[in-house]
Amino acid sequence: MNTAATAMKVRGVSRTYRDRAHSVTALQGTDLDVPEGRFVSIVGPSACGKSTLLNLFCGLDKPDSGSIETPALGAGDLLGRVGYMPQQDLLMPWRTVTENASIGLECLGIDRGEARKRAGEHMVRFGLNGFERSYPGQLSGGMRQRVAMLRTFLCDRKINLLDEPFGKLDAMTRASMQTWLLDYWQENRCTIVFVTHDIDEALYLSDVVHLMSPRPGRIILSVQVDVPRPRKYSEVVTSPHFNELKSRLLATLGKES
Amino acid sequence: MKAGVWPPLLLGAGLIAVWEIYVRAAGIDPLLLPPPSAVARYIAQNAGLLATNGASTLAELLIGFACGVVIGLSLGILMQVWRWFHDAAYPWLVATQMVPIPAVAPILVLWFGFTIVPKAATVALMCFFPIAVNTLDGLSSVDSELIRLLRTFGAGPWQVMSLAAFPAALPSIFSGVRVAMALSVIGAVVGEWVGSTHGLGYLMLHFENRGETAGLFATVTVLTIMGIILFFLVGWVEAWVIPWRRHAKETP
Repeated sequence: MNTAATAMKVRGVSRTYRDRAHSVTALQGTDLDVPEGRFVSIVGPSACGKSTLLNLFCGLDKPDSGSIETPALGAGDLLGRVGYMPQQDLLMPWRTVTENASIGLECLGIDRGEARKRAGEHMVRFGLNGFERSYPGQLSGGMRQRVAMLRTFLCDRKINLLDEPFGKLDAMTRASMQTWLLDYWQENRCTIVFVTHDIDEALYLSDVVHLMSPRPGRIILSVQVDVPRPRKYSEVVTSPHFNELKSRLLATLGKES
Repeated sequence: MKAGVWPPLLLGAGLIAVWEIYVRAAGIDPLLLPPPSAVARYIAQNAGLLATNGASTLAELLIGFACGVVIGLSLGILMQVWRWFHDAAYPWLVATQMVPIPAVAPILVLWFGFTIVPKAATVALMCFFPIAVNTLDGLSSVDSELIRLLRTFGAGPWQVMSLAAFPAALPSIFSGVRVAMALSVIGAVVGEWVGSTHGLGYLMLHFENRGETAGLFATVTVLTIMGIILFFLVGWVEAWVIPWRRHAKETP
């Protein structure tokens, strides 16, 4: 596991937001290594700077100090080169399922017809067949999330950032989406950085789980999840290893807050 | 829409019946208030006259309206794209709406003569403002998170505008267009009042001067029907351009 190349190397990253009256330090001295082709989760209390970190990773924001190197992508601006799936699905109500899924490709300058054709090829895998021409307003929460995920994965980026993608789903839908995501990732090994506040979810999905402190955020604990894949949810969450990791994470979190 | 057709028709028929009965029962002078039956007879007997003049008003209105839409949309988009243009131009656009149109119309006639131009210009002058304001509002209402997402896909400012901001603004733009359509009828009539030799506005003045009240009412009726049809045409175009609104209502 340690032999994997590094997709993203974060060193001493700090970010402070200032306006006239206040200054809020969202991140301070964050270090993080994301190995290539791995599933990495970042967990932490709300407002700990998880989303700030993802904004930096996808190039929407720049750190005040510190560095983010991406050996997997080479040098240059990250914006437009790292896959990003935000918390809200942000589907466009005026576009059908296929048209929403293909918007990323269209932004990359791929011909509209070709982009929609490529999106269409993934409808079955993403459980959206039969809904290609539906509008987002006609879909359930889980389906909307799958459209949003297809939109991100269709761009075929080496690194994909998922920001609490299942946060708003009910427990049943969430569980089936987690399993679905693992299956999909098993077939298409990209690097995933997954942000969540759900420790169970992070441990079930990830190779490595990083715990962030409350604001100002930084990584305070990293644990390896040595559970072989493919994983079964019922087996993972009842295993002693899982429970040991979970109590370590909770104990560290309790000390900090 | 289905259930919506009958109530207004029934209400209209009821009001017309009350009007007819009142005029007859009270023995009102038809020069002051002609009964609906007399107005209907006038329309039937002078259908040709009303149709030709209606056609020229319609032409002025549509040309002016089209110009108003183009100008309004362009101003709205430019104000959204260039902040400095917004700051510089916005107060002046408001100022154009403070100047009474009936005061401006004679100047337009002075400049362009008894042609179609001053009427169309009057219509455009009344139309562009609600469209410009609603376009601006609509464009700035687009979710900033969506813009950020598109930027992570590598979208530039033009793609953000065409893929996200403009479609998101369409419902708001159409609100402006509907208001503009209603105003354009007034604009065309005002344009004709200050200087014309034909058109429904011209006919109104003509009948008023000659004391032909039934003719005046007939002209107003034709104008009203024309305005209502145009207004609902805009709604029909809107439903066609914005199909997702209709579909969104299909599921609970």
